[in-house]
Amino acid sequence: MIRFDVHVTAAGGLHARPAALLVNNAGQFQSKVTVIKDQKKADGKSILGIMTLGASLGDWLTFEIEGADEEQAAAALKELFDKQFES
Amino acid sequence: MLRGLFSRKKQQQEVTLLAPLTGEVVALTEVPDPVFAQKVVGDGAAIIPTEGVLVSPLAGSVTHLFPTHHAIALTSESGLEILLHIGIDTVKLKGEGFTPHVKAGDQVKPGDKLISFDLDVLQKAGCPIVTPVVITNGDLVAEKKVVSTGSVRAGQEPLMQVIVKGGAS
Repeated sequence: MIRFDVHVTAAGGLHARPAALLVNNAGQFQSKVTVIKDQKKADGKSILGIMTLGASLGDWLTFEIEGADEEQAAAALKELFDKQFES
Repeated sequence: MLRGLFSRKKQQQEVTLLAPLTGEVVALTEVPDPVFAQKVVGDGAAIIPTEGVLVSPLAGSVTHLFPTHHAIALTSESGLEILLHIGIDTVKLKGEGFTPHVKAGDQVKPGDKLISFDLDVLQKAGCPIVTPVVITNGDLVAEKKVVSTGSVRAGQEPLMQVIVKGGAS
């Protein structure tokens, strides 16, 4: 399992657009993706789950990725945050 | 007790989504935001509102109300997750012009008022007012069709007919 933390730097936090992009990225991998904010856990492949975390600008999120392609999935998701969801 | 009766019916369920806004129905592909137009968020339809009152399209519960009150997510009794996103780029209004009537966890009936909003505020801020109505857990959908075209009245006319796959819960 790979575990890492990211800092939410997108203005407005993980609202609909970034949540959709995150889930879309996570969905391209077989690995199970869990996103955690203050003990609250969400399925990284559920848009509503991610939105319900209510991650705001400045929050820290923990990702837990587990599966055969966990390294690729982790790299893709980290990049998404590094680029602040701008493709 | 009634389990036997219900389990037989668990196969598929038809859900009607009423129009959540009064206005003009347009295709999701016409929404000027690629995550909606390319159906990244989910499939559905969009409405260009002529009145600033968003109502519930179905019976269910409020799963998430965005802190900026520009969008709301509902879960139907059959497990369907619906995102109603008022306008485009409206997150940047930080709540200005939006008045919520419900909170997360509330039960809603079709036609219940969810959020009132000021169309003028959106337009002055340069935000498109077209409002996507999308199903965010499309894997639960066996079939769906948008049954309305042209103008619709909020809470009175159907917008979409959805058949939910059985055995979801």
